Amino acid sequence: MLSGVLGLLFLIIIPFSNSSVHAAKGPDQYELLAKGMQLIQEDKGDAAVEMFKKVPAPAPGEDAGIFVRSRMEAAKILFSKKDYKDSSVMCHKILVLLPDNLEAKNLLAEIQETQTPEWLLFIKDMKTFLPTLVKATVMTLLLVFITMAISPIGGLFIALGRISRIRILSSLFWCYIWIFRGTPLLLQLFFIYYGLPSLGVTFKPFTAAILGLGLNYSAYLAEIMRGAIESIDPGQMEAAKAIGMTYWQAMRRIIIPQTYKRLMPPVGNEFIALIKDTALVSTIAMVELMRAANQIFSATFNVYILIQAAIIYLVLTSIFTVSFRKVEDRLGVYENR
Amino acid sequence: MIELQGVLKRFGTLTAVDHVDLSIKEGERIVIIGPSGSGKTTLLRMINFLEKIDEGRLLLDGNEVGYRRDKKGRLVLDKPDVICALRSEIGMVFQHFYLFPHMTAIENVMEGPVTVKKQPKEQARNIAMDLLGKVGLLDKKDIFPAFLSGGQKQRVAIARALAMKPRLMLFDEPTSALDPELVGEVFGTIKALAAEGMTMVIVTHQMGFAREMADRVIFMDNGSFIFDGTPREVFSENMDNPRVKAFMDKVL
Repeated sequence: MLSGVLGLLFLIIIPFSNSSVHAAKGPDQYELLAKGMQLIQEDKGDAAVEMFKKVPAPAPGEDAGIFVRSRMEAAKILFSKKDYKDSSVMCHKILVLLPDNLEAKNLLAEIQETQTPEWLLFIKDMKTFLPTLVKATVMTLLLVFITMAISPIGGLFIALGRISRIRILSSLFWCYIWIFRGTPLLLQLFFIYYGLPSLGVTFKPFTAAILGLGLNYSAYLAEIMRGAIESIDPGQMEAAKAIGMTYWQAMRRIIIPQTYKRLMPPVGNEFIALIKDTALVSTIAMVELMRAANQIFSATFNVYILIQAAIIYLVLTSIFTVSFRKVEDRLGVYENR
Repeated sequence: MIELQGVLKRFGTLTAVDHVDLSIKEGERIVIIGPSGSGKTTLLRMINFLEKIDEGRLLLDGNEVGYRRDKKGRLVLDKPDVICALRSEIGMVFQHFYLFPHMTAIENVMEGPVTVKKQPKEQARNIAMDLLGKVGLLDKKDIFPAFLSGGQKQRVAIARALAMKPRLMLFDEPTSALDPELVGEVFGTIKALAAEGMTMVIVTHQMGFAREMADRVIFMDNGSFIFDGTPREVFSENMDNPRVKAFMDKVL
């Protein structure tokens, strides 16, 4: 607004004072521009701006090229010195003469952007990239839910194998847990996706991701489930047997249902870790939240993308934390507290 | 009905039950007393295969049951389905109740008939209602065990065992974990059961059981029967066995 008024003032004053009086006597406008450019070369920014300012505004009908050029150069220098106010004054002067000048328009936009508060930029970026991130989050959730569906089944199977009195079976499952808990998930994913093809087994990225997460989380859940089963009073198994139940009937009807509430806190923790661990499958060509964020970040170096991704992860883990707490309370209705 | 012949059970170097013979007749009410660690509970648990015997024989209606010998000649439990079938004919009540905490009172009682006997739920529910009525807990049928008193828990546990329509009931110190004022209700329930002619073996420290409902009192010490006779004989003034007399003097 202010600069607009100033620009208008200049337009009114300059034709009468500068151009008519000095144009003939003073240095030639070409000369002024050349001197200014020279001063830029010599790294004398302030002097250059002064020089460019001396270039008179063109009289009506006269070619505005040199004037525009000089004001533009001045605006650029002022911009680089963070003198945004004067820089935009220069731009407006140009736009008064040539309203469609792209260079001046762009510089003005840039000045505006630099002066916009950080949080506003953040919102602006969010609008641009959020749809991509949300789409990638759907994939992350898909991985989480499928793993949540299959790993408790695998975990229970392994846990029951572990507590089996058949020595070979128990050692076999001990080995499984030992391997999958004792090596990095990242390595397991690499082995499945990049390693197995050389042994003749090839998986699509999605299958490999589910397989890796499923096998790994089954091992963790198995140990938690084994602990929970063994924490149930042995008297429960005896009471079940005393009414004629088989071992498996007792497990299914009496022992395992009593573990549900005890399982909730540690299993909830595992599933929260799972949300974060899905980020690892970004390394095997899966486009999920981490990978999408990383791709945008690599292209733009916009740090807010990473913060946005972090916020999405936080929202997911928070929802999980609250939900598991609720389920745990509901499972404990038979307890006297 | 059930007969133990020369049964022996070792825990490491300790001989918990040492060549014991016991014959339980239909309708008989046997009370086993004796000091702690004398092998009473182990003997009781052997009857329904919760404890495997190391030597001896177990006979049901005159037939040897529950065990076979492996290649080295050692006794091993018979196949699980055989053992389960045998157990379902013998009810057991534990000192610490062991009700299923995730099931209501009535669900506890229905569990055996439904899961083991595969009875329809409605039929099992009717049986359970009947039994809960009998032990005086019909109003508590939808309550979880955690909200019942010790005496109520034990009565539900008795109903749960009875739901399988057992031929024999085993009671392992049924009132030992109860507050003194709650002993009476459980005592009364067992007495009522005895009056119906149920065959039962009771391990207890409560002399009231021995005095009021036993046909036969067995005194056990160090894994052996020291005395086996009628309540009148055990509580008689001129008991001639010094160990029984010493124990009686202490508990009475």
